[in-house]
Amino acid sequence: MLKTDTNENIVGVFDTEEALINAIKNIKKSSFKIKNVFTPYPIHEVFHELGLTTRLPWLAFFYAVGGTILVFAFLYWTSVIDYPISIGGKPDLSPSFIIVMFVMTILFGIVLSLVTFFTVQRLYPGKVPVIIHEDIVDDKYVIVIEKSNAMTERDVVAINKLFVSNMAIEIGLKNDVEAI
Amino acid sequence: MYDTRIRGELVEGGVTYSDITRDILAPIEQPAPAWWYAAMSVSLCAIAFGGWAGYMTISRGIGTWGLNNTQAWGWDIINFIWWIGIGHAGTAFSIFLLILRQKWRTSINRAAEAMTVAAVMCAGIFPLIHMGRPWMAFYVIPYPNTRGPLWVNFNSPLFWDVIAISTYLTASATFWYVGMIPDFATVRDKTNSKVKKLIYGILSFGWVGSAKGWLRFEALSMILGGLTAPLVISVHSIVSMDFATSVIPGWHTTIFPPYFVVGAIFSGFGMVLTLMIIIRNIYNYHHYVTDGHIDAIARILVFISLIMGSAYATEIFIASYSGSEYEYFTFYNNRITGDHMIGFWGMILCNAVIPQLFWFKAVRRNTALVFIISLFVNLGMWFERFTIIVTSLSKDYMPSNWTDYSPTLVEIGLYVGTLGIFTTCILLFFKNIPMIAISEVKGILKHTSIKNAKN
Repeated sequence: MLKTDTNENIVGVFDTEEALINAIKNIKKSSFKIKNVFTPYPIHEVFHELGLTTRLPWLAFFYAVGGTILVFAFLYWTSVIDYPISIGGKPDLSPSFIIVMFVMTILFGIVLSLVTFFTVQRLYPGKVPVIIHEDIVDDKYVIVIEKSNAMTERDVVAINKLFVSNMAIEIGLKNDVEAI
Repeated sequence: MYDTRIRGELVEGGVTYSDITRDILAPIEQPAPAWWYAAMSVSLCAIAFGGWAGYMTISRGIGTWGLNNTQAWGWDIINFIWWIGIGHAGTAFSIFLLILRQKWRTSINRAAEAMTVAAVMCAGIFPLIHMGRPWMAFYVIPYPNTRGPLWVNFNSPLFWDVIAISTYLTASATFWYVGMIPDFATVRDKTNSKVKKLIYGILSFGWVGSAKGWLRFEALSMILGGLTAPLVISVHSIVSMDFATSVIPGWHTTIFPPYFVVGAIFSGFGMVLTLMIIIRNIYNYHHYVTDGHIDAIARILVFISLIMGSAYATEIFIASYSGSEYEYFTFYNNRITGDHMIGFWGMILCNAVIPQLFWFKAVRRNTALVFIISLFVNLGMWFERFTIIVTSLSKDYMPSNWTDYSPTLVEIGLYVGTLGIFTTCILLFFKNIPMIAISEVKGILKHTSIKNAKN
């Protein structure tokens, strides 16, 4: 789940993808922990370096399977139990149910995956986002390190130095940044 | 990460990431040009005509159409299938190519999906009004009711149509919308207008571009894509079963599901090509929709055209080989020759013959010619549906039942009205939505245009 802390964060802005990935690698070697990374487009190396994974595909699979079972139960109840109608002597439990089940499986998979995505990612219309940098949607890349209360002035200087030595073009402070 | 070298550069002109943002947001930021207002006025007039036709249909009934006992389906179903066929492109395009990891899709998928959603909405109007009493449309929904409780017939292709098309509309609209969320965030952060900041802020759902967000976003895209891909196949298969499960000559064939699916993708790709050439030339997106993109779609079209040609040939061969005199009559006396031969030969010419010009590189590189051929493809697919529906119904088993069919002004009005809805949606899309998926194009820039990327 996403956590939002109200304390301050140190933000390093990078100009290129290479500089960003290089900086992530170097920060991982240091004693500081990366709180989050922001990019204008998905970068697989960033996911890899941060060790991020998602269970969304598995959930989608179970949603779809659940949908199939639910729809079959519904068809069985309506056509076999509740109101069976003999159409040309064909069986009540018809193989052509497969078509309705097939389509509804997809519908369940899609709708529930969407709901899950927006819920876990906490996205909803009207949300006021904390925009980390105005060019994050354009061509800048950002690494965030949390400035916790336990940090001394020396730690902060060290983080700043770490960003500068890794080609950060801009360093700033930002409140309320969501963690990974 | 592997590089795509086979297709050459996918984004030309040495653009940088910020160039992409600026170029694609430009139409949203600038006031709409004069041609846009002119086109919008024409579209709204078409909608008004359609509105009148819809009013006549609903207030007076289906009697205002040229249908009768024999010719129970006419322009309503022709146009329904034509639109739903066009509506297959977005999904066929972006989803099949997404699953196949074809990176050249990124410049085109947004427009293709927009077109899909608009076309499926237009398609949905026809089955609704051809019920005759559209206010009773909710009867097709299976819910516990006071009529028995009598359930709908779950074995009927007409019911499968209802769920398949509503699922398809849900799937393609959400796939399109989810893909736009990061780009709406781009508009939100880049625009200077307060109103736009507010509107696109709401539309962007508070997207910030965090690493985990992107990871889940990509996973969701693959899930939606993977689940919708079989739907593309099933929707038009189900539409074809509306025909194939009947006993009407010319309809009662097992070739129908694949034949309809391929035809749908064919007409959809034709419409994508029409639309992309317009976008590319009007908004000067030559760097993003390159000659290579047009070439790739043209190659796909020539391949699908061959499949269509084979399907026509198979139908005609089986009509004589089967020994069924009714099938033989329908194909040889009522399609190849007879009252409706213009529709049949128009279909053959536009779908199986003219697209063969795409074998020649000179034709594929001539945008004007490609544009004209893409229009012929859409015309040809309309002829195909006309041929299937009108020839088979107008002259079936009993000569005493034979009748002719021509549409009334109301039917023409409904078709023109849906064309108006479609163009209005497309014009609104031109003005208000980033026409090329900004974040996706940025994502492929480095891997496919190495010397273009910064550094």
